[in-house]
Parts: sequence; structure tokens; C-alpha cells
Amino acid sequence: MVPSLSDEAMGVELEKSAVYGHKFSTVVPAEATGDAVTRELTNMDLIMKLHYLRAVYYFKQSEVVDGLAITDLKEPMFPWLNVYYPVTGRIRTEAGSRPLIKCNDCGLRIIEAKCSRTLEEWLSVEDSSRWRPLVPEKVLGPELHFSPLVYIQFTRFKCGGMAIGYSWAHLLGDAVSATNCINLWGKFLKGNPSLETLRLSNHQKKAESPAKHVKAPQKPVPVKQVKLAGECWQAPDTCKMATCSFKIAETDLKKMQGEKQNHVPPFAMISALIWKCLAKNGNDRESKSATICRNSTSLKSSDMLTNNLKASTITLDSSAANIDLLELATLILKHELDELESIDELIDRNSGKPDFVLYGANLTFIDMEGIDLYGLELKGQTPVQVDYNIDGIGDEGAVLVLQGRGRTDLTGSIQERTVMVTLPEDQINQLRGVLSSEFGIA
Amino acid sequence: MVVPVFRGAVKFAYRFLVNNLVTLFLATAMTAIAWTLHRLGQDNIVDYSWWLLQQKPVESLGVAFFVALVATVYFMSRPRPVYLVDYACFKPPAPCRVPFATFIEHTKLINKDEKSVQFQTRILERSGLGEETCLPPANHFIPPNATMEASRAEAQLVIFSAIDDLMKKTGLKHKDIDILVVNCSLFSPTPSLSAMIINKYKLRSNIRSFNLSGMGCSAGLISIDLARDLLQVHPRANALVVSAEIITPNFYNGNQRSMLLPNCLFRMGAAAILLSNRRREARRAKYRLTHVVRTHKGADDRAYRCVYEEEDGEGHSGISLSKDLMTIAVEALKSNITTLGPLVLPMSEQLLFVLALAGRKLVNPKWKSYLPDFKQAFEHFCIHAGGRAVIDELQKNLSLTAEHVEASRMTLHRFGNTSSSSLWYELNYIESKGRMRRGDRVWQIGFGSGFKCNSAVWKCLRTIKPTVDGPWADCIDRYPVQIPEVVRL
Repeated sequence: MVPSLSDEAMGVELEKSAVYGHKFSTVVPAEATGDAVTRELTNMDLIMKLHYLRAVYYFKQSEVVDGLAITDLKEPMFPWLNVYYPVTGRIRTEAGSRPLIKCNDCGLRIIEAKCSRTLEEWLSVEDSSRWRPLVPEKVLGPELHFSPLVYIQFTRFKCGGMAIGYSWAHLLGDAVSATNCINLWGKFLKGNPSLETLRLSNHQKKAESPAKHVKAPQKPVPVKQVKLAGECWQAPDTCKMATCSFKIAETDLKKMQGEKQNHVPPFAMISALIWKCLAKNGNDRESKSATICRNSTSLKSSDMLTNNLKASTITLDSSAANIDLLELATLILKHELDELESIDELIDRNSGKPDFVLYGANLTFIDMEGIDLYGLELKGQTPVQVDYNIDGIGDEGAVLVLQGRGRTDLTGSIQERTVMVTLPEDQINQLRGVLSSEFGIA
Repeated sequence: MVVPVFRGAVKFAYRFLVNNLVTLFLATAMTAIAWTLHRLGQDNIVDYSWWLLQQKPVESLGVAFFVALVATVYFMSRPRPVYLVDYACFKPPAPCRVPFATFIEHTKLINKDEKSVQFQTRILERSGLGEETCLPPANHFIPPNATMEASRAEAQLVIFSAIDDLMKKTGLKHKDIDILVVNCSLFSPTPSLSAMIINKYKLRSNIRSFNLSGMGCSAGLISIDLARDLLQVHPRANALVVSAEIITPNFYNGNQRSMLLPNCLFRMGAAAILLSNRRREARRAKYRLTHVVRTHKGADDRAYRCVYEEEDGEGHSGISLSKDLMTIAVEALKSNITTLGPLVLPMSEQLLFVLALAGRKLVNPKWKSYLPDFKQAFEHFCIHAGGRAVIDELQKNLSLTAEHVEASRMTLHRFGNTSSSSLWYELNYIESKGRMRRGDRVWQIGFGSGFKCNSAVWKCLRTIKPTVDGPWADCIDRYPVQIPEVVRL
């Protein structure tokens, strides 16, 4: 998670000092939630607890953005948090017992900062870690009872543009939940939205169902057990990880597939592409197995805060380097993802232990398709760019495939994908090399 | 069964006789005179009167003149009635809310001393405050953003909201304000807060304005007293009294335990009150001020130092509360009651008190002193919501029931200690519950640094319907709440 000292990272260190004047405050729900309201953490929540979602939404300077003072930005948060009150709670862990969220209205942490660069200068740096100074790198702990689950940072650029950094503890919910949550704030900023479709289910402790043991042999859950070093809920750093990002246009992906009728969707293509490149570098295990992860964007589960992920591991017979790109992509596309029911057997009901990571247990490809990243509006204005990343990724690394904004060019409208790759440092450079030499992707 | 009923009957008969002694005497005298006159016969009376006028004109005219003189002097020297037309309290907005958990977390982040944090947590758990009390925007920052500008902003927010509300309720025009009294103990900028109000509302250039600072939590009643005195001197005048306490500049950054309490208990609040001596206001006024009694124990060193602003060992300035605070408060109250009692207590209670006193002095020093029953004199009590201990102590000392102190406890729960304006939130609670009837008497008791104990007595002029606005409007149905001894955080 700590940026390495490559050339780009040096730039980032300089960028860090460009953000200054930090002011900290807290916002709470407008109404008291009430005494002794708690939110149980499901087994899935506990598996995700070492991961953190970090998003930065960039807004261009405009009259609207200029007219939004910090009080205008904070005021709609109070009724918003009436709806999403669990995100203002705090973790409670009594010795040996299962962690839960105490909904005590403690609040979100708000940070205000200034940046000495303009938004254009900032976005011209295509470095993947440019978002780091714009969103807090906080984790839960060492004092869990006093660690906010969500942080929001407002950074004003010299030109008047603004970046909204959003840090979300994954145990609260998946990227869909996180995005819907912040998008609702945007709606409150505009006016009073209708709240009929929103529902916050009360997570109940799942009773142990012995019948599950009799089921057909389950696929292994793609998680890895880790040992926490200290009181923080942070995946241990066994090797230095680095991130890089690049954009791929849909048209380029289609070109790679040739003149086929049914094109393979972008996520599968990109996953296959990167897998092949990494496999060329020789890691045996990585070249043969990877985890595919997808968020559920269906409205079937209208629960506002939920970790509704599907994931499972693909194991190949031979190294990915030996398989044709299109064939690999089709394999990924057709691979069925599981509901992860077997996680119930992994987590102890009473203690919530042991600790796991999901992303990075194996090389993980995470499909962020269909998540309304550009749906956060400031009184009608949408972001020009959204940077997204996940902290707390395990050693095998992860690849996020995000939907780009979509822009129009002389040739027509261009849809592209942004790919964020987190890998051990040495592998990143090798990957870059392979991508540019073989596929012409910078 | 028979004995308590008998005792109750005796008590009732005693109270009825003694309290209405004068009335009974006059009634008897008038009956006797009427009977005598009736016996004399109408014609005889007329003849007698006519003869008296002719025979002794000087004496007759002298008597008539004397009667007229006495009547004139009596009516002229009666104090002008002071009416409380209406009042308005500041309702803190939702963005100012500070739940317990947030307060503790901020304290932890600002104050690195673990023991201080634990101490403040224990205070908060036992404080009697609720989860909806409010601090000004500056105090939501870590660390608090206590600039002059932020303090002024808070003052403008709380004071102007209250005055705007009051003007809307009463239809008061800016040019009709003749007297302005503002009290705010811990924030005294230049120009003063009264000047700030005059500037904002464009008040008249010949306004009589006063700004009382440094006078503590009982300053609200001092302002009322000052306004009353001014209304005796100025006929047909309106007085606007504003009571506020500004929290922003007063956050204590140190670790001295005796100085940490204000951080935990003080919250945002303000009240604006319209007093008038105009006759026509009598029709719509809510209350009439009957008594104000001020007691100052500052001559006693212990009392003088029990609420003391000073710097701690590390140079942080704060208000230190001594351990004797409750004892001194009770002593001040007893002093105050000694003066107030004869003014408000019915004759029955005063007689018992005097008899007990005489008995102790003359017969047997071991006789217990009689504590008068103030529930005979008042229907409602507004005890300054300085803290749970204050309310508990006064409830015990005055033998009040839970319902009598409900307004104080619930105000402490919903709004915290808002200093001098807390009495007005309490009064508003009683009105919002629909308990204020015409003829009811209210006793407001304020305590404050000095050490002072001030009392104001009001008489309700008309039954007050619960309103749809005001600080309690959206939550009155949830009250009263059961406040636990200790809240588990």
C-alpha cells in the first residue's frame, strides 16, 4: 500500500505536499438513532474487513462548484445519515466475542484540504497513485471503538475544481453499497429525494444449519487466512505492493478479437489479457489459477448495506501463457461464480475469527461493471474523472476493471475501461513492459 | 385510616383560616356595619350625613380630602406592572448536534491524556444530558476552531434566531424597542452584543441599551430585574431582554479535573424576552412579574471562589468549580428563601415558620426549624438546569415532587446546560405540555458565579395553549423520558 520509490512515485511524494491545510470535523445523523442499536456483521462482512475502498471523484471548476461552501456540502449529510445511520457507528469488540457495529451516531470524519495545483495539472499525471493524497489512508484500529468507518475529504484545487475523496470500510458493504450511499448524498444536496425504494435490513445472526454439511462438495472459498500484526484491521505487508493504471478503449479490445460476430465483453478480455501477461513472467501458481469477483448489481437484494459478492477460482490445466487469448477470455466469461455459502464454515460464530483476505488471496480480477461511479452529482454536475482503488489487497495482487466515463471524439463516442492493477512491485514493471511491447498498451 | 384523614382536615382548616384571615375579618366587619346601617334605616342615614356636612364642614371636607390623598398616594406609588408579553428560545439546528460518542471521540483526539478522557466520559454518563444536545459549529472541528469570527458567528446565530422568532410571535417592530438588556457572561466583544443587535435590527438612536457580562448563569434574572427597574422609570415602554451564552471561545484545552465539567455540560442556547409596562399589553401578555429577589454571597470568600475562571498549571484558561459548590448553592438558596418567603408564602406557612423560630429561640433550641412548603406558593418551578446535582439537591431541599422538577430535568436532557437561558426553555416545556393555567404562579431560580442565587416570580395571566412552534415543538411528545442514573457508553 505504501508507494514504492519508482520515478512515478517520486512524483507522488511531491504531490503529497501539494495538498495542505487539512481541517478535521465530524458529521452525524440529524436524529438520534436510539439506545443500544447494533448492527450484526455477517460472515461475509467479516471476511471483507481487511479491505478498504478508496474513491476520488474529480469535479471541474464551475459556478456550481464555486458556490458550494463547506457548510453547503455538510448540511445535506445530516438527513442523509438518518438513512445510512450504521455508517456512523463504531466497531465494538468485547474480548473474544464477535465484532459488531454499535450504531451510536459517532459520525463520519470530514477533512477539508487545499491543493496548490490546478485540477488539469493533477489529472494530467496519469500516475495511478495520484489519488492517494486526496483520500485518507486510514484503517480501522488500533482503537477500534474510536475508528470511523467512512471518511470524506474535500480538496479544493487552485483553479476552483474539487476532488471528493471517499474512504469506505469494506465490512460495511460492497462497492455497490458504497457508491449508492455517496450518490444518495448527491441527491440530498440537490433536494429531497424519495426514499421509498431504500431499505436497511437488520442483519440477524445466522443460526447454524447442520443441513449444510450434507450438501454436495463445495468449491473452495477463494480466501486466505492471515495473521494480523497488531491491533489494526490491516492486511499484513509481506511484500511491497505497487499500483499502476491504464485505459483501454472498447474498440481496441474488439480489434484484438478479430472479425467475430459475438464479441467477448470487456471484463473477460481484459482479465484474460493481463493474466496472460503475468503468466509470461513465470509465477507458477499465478499462471494456473485466479479468482474472479463480481458485485451483484441486481435489484433483487434491495438491502442498502450488504456485501453481496460472488467469487470463485478458475484453475487451469496449464499456464495461462499457453492458452489463446480469446479462449482464455471465453473461459473467464463462462465460469460460474458462487454465492460463497461455504464461508459460514470458515468463520467461528462466536469470535468472528480467524481473519481473512479475499482480494489478493489469489490473483483476483474484480469486475466493477454496472456500478454507478459517475452517478455522484453536485447539483447536476457530474465528475470528470473517478479514481478507484482497494486497499488491503493480499500478496497475489488484484486487478480492478472500472467503467470509464465515456467521451466523444471526432470518430464518435468512445467507451473505455480503466484498469487498476495492484501487484508486488517487481511484477508491475514487468507487466507494463509486456503490455506495451506485445499489445501496445501504455 | 382515620388519623391521616383527621390530620388532613385539620391542616386544611388551619390553612383556610389563616390564609384568608384578612378577608374573613373584613367580611365580618362589613357585615356588622351593613347590619348597623340597616338598623338605622335609610332616611336616618341621609339625614345624619346632611347634618354632618352642615355642622362640621371642615372636618367632613378634611376627612374626604384625607381619604382622597391617601388613595392618590397609594395608586401613584404602586409599581408599574411589568408584563411578559412573550418570549422565544433558540432552537439549535440538526447540524449542531453532538451525540455522546462523538463528544468522547473528539475529546480523545484533542486531549491526549487518557485519565482526562475517562473522567469526562464518566461525567457525561452521569450528567443527565441526552443525545440531542448541540454545540456550535466551531466545536465540531478537531481541534475546535475557536476564532473571534466563529464566536461572533455563534452569537449572531443564536441571538438573531431568538429575536426573529420573538418579533414574529409578537409583531414587535424595531422602532418600538425602548430598552435593550443583553446578558452573556463569557463573550464580551467590542462593540458589545447589544450594539450588534442594535446594528442588525436598526433600533432607535435613543434606545436605552445595557450589556451585562461576567455575571454568570444567574444573569438572566439580573437582566429581568434591571429591565423591571427601568420600566418603573420609563412609562409606556417595551424592554427586550436577551439571555445567551456563547460556547465557542470557552472550550477548555487542559487536564485539570475541576475545570473539565463545563466542557461536558455547557451547550448552545439563547432566549429573547419582551417585557412591557404598557397597559394595552396586559390583554395579550402571558405573565406578570410579581417579585424578583437577588441574593449575593460574594462577601464570603468560599462562595466567591467556588466558580472561578483561572489558568491551570499549563496556562490553559478555564472555569474551575470547587467541591463545595452544592453546599454553597444550598446556603445561597436558603438565604434567598428567607427574603422571598414572606413575599410569597401564604400566611399559614409563615405563621408556622415564625412559631417554630420563636419556639427554638424561646422555648427549646432542639425544636426542628420549619421548612416552609413552597408548593403552597407556586404551581410551577423552573430550576436552573446547571447539572443533575443541582436539580437533585433542590428537589430534596424544597421537598418537590418529580413532576415539579420535570421541566428542569427534561431541559437538561434535551438542551444541556444552556446557562442563563435554561429557565426559559423550562418555562416553554411547561407551556408546551399544556400545564400553564391562568392564575398559576411560577418560580424561576437561577444560580451563578459570585456566588449568586436569584429568584423571579411570575403570575400567569391567561391559560396558554401548547404551540406548534418553539424549541420543544417537534419532540414534546417524546417527553418526559426516563433518564438512567448512568448511561453506558
